Amino acid sequence: MEKVFRNPDVLWREEDDPKAQAWEGLAKGEDVEDVGTSVLFADGTMLSLNVLGTEIWKRCDGRTVDEIVADLSGQFDVETAVLREDAVAFLAELAEKGFVRYEDR
Amino acid sequence: MKTVNYLKAPLTINWAVTNRCNFNCQHCYSRTDPSEELDTPTLVAAIDKTVKAGVLSINFGGGEPLLRKDLLEIASFCSGRGLRVSMNSNGYRIDRETAGKLKASGFSKVGISIDSHIASVHEAFRGIPGSHQKAVAALAYLKEAGIKTSISTVICKINHRAVQELITFARQQGVQQLNFHNFKCSGLGYSNKDELDLSAAEWKEFYLQATAAKKEIRDLEISLDDPIIASLGMKTETDSLVKGSICGKLSLNIKSNGDITPCGFIPIVIGNIVKDDFKEVWDNSQVLDRLRNKKPTGKCASCASYEDCLGGCSARALALTGDFNNPDPHCWINEP
Ligand code: SF4
Repeated sequence: MEKVFRNPDVLWREEDDPKAQAWEGLAKGEDVEDVGTSVLFADGTMLSLNVLGTEIWKRCDGRTVDEIVADLSGQFDVETAVLREDAVAFLAELAEKGFVRYEDR
Repeated sequence: MKTVNYLKAPLTINWAVTNRCNFNCQHCYSRTDPSEELDTPTLVAAIDKTVKAGVLSINFGGGEPLLRKDLLEIASFCSGRGLRVSMNSNGYRIDRETAGKLKASGFSKVGISIDSHIASVHEAFRGIPGSHQKAVAALAYLKEAGIKTSISTVICKINHRAVQELITFARQQGVQQLNFHNFKCSGLGYSNKDELDLSAAEWKEFYLQATAAKKEIRDLEISLDDPIIASLGMKTETDSLVKGSICGKLSLNIKSNGDITPCGFIPIVIGNIVKDDFKEVWDNSQVLDRLRNKKPTGKCASCASYEDCLGGCSARALALTGDFNNPDPHCWINEP
């Protein structure tokens, strides 16, 4: 299983107000997919991630996808299999942009 | 993902640490600015304020930043606080030793201003014999020291037809990035605009060539920071986050005396980093509010590209028409 690492050249931060808004929304069962709660930028590319994307990103510190998913499944009201599928697709997108890299255990 | 209207703080600050310069460029925006400089402790404390607010990167400009004797000290402070540190320089003072010191103090990227691939054209424009060769040497020393390099070229009459030559030149120097900056018409750029600025038709021609090259070329990042390329179906690098100009949305400018302006080319002071609460300025400045919520006027009102372009460069619209809601005077839509 591969470990996932953030590219240290990417600058990023969470945005406090939208973050609070997204978690409040989640607690009420609202759809907060479109609320950007963090910004990431590297030379030439900028991204805004929603709350799930941000939580995945924050865990790209050498954990495997399975570990990330296991950690998040308690916090998001989604089936683990669905969450896993989303996380894999999202990380593939980040890897393509050079924002994360995988390393074999 | 959604684009954002404004963040909790800028991501980047362009900080004109000095207005002093060893050059005499015809398009300079700061030459006419007599503002004083902050001393080291005041400057460091001011930078710290921005870090606490959430700023992630700082780009030193001026003037020539290297004329500040404490530049390395300031840079070390910034990198120690986790900021990404870069600067724009004319390269004249960067030898091997200086490049090494810049690296050691935490500079990750340095952009060198070069206006032409032809030495005599660059030097006539900058008023300093030998400056082209010095700039080229600086790029090599920086690269050797492990600092990312870029060439910054302000597009104007002396270089707008040389897109291919400028690209070839940048490749020869092994830089990572080539920045084509639009001509802003501030400071001396305003006084000399009749000789230097392009017509709308010439801007279109330039951007057609530059965007075609950008799409094609893989080994060199070509950066175009002008929102009016939206009408050519092209996007700026920041497009995924904000539309139109980034000033006051992703970045701010701080002058040598600590005055805060939306960008280096918009001479409206909205606060002072030493005296004012930074977050208060960022959150509540009416000027920033208007920049973040521009209203289409004139031809922009019926333009299909408005959503992405937002009327183009606000600084230029302001400098040439007096209102940044007006269409960017460089825009070629419906122009003869
Ligand atoms: S008409 Fe206005 S919105 Fe359209 S491209 Fe020109 S400046 Fe941009």
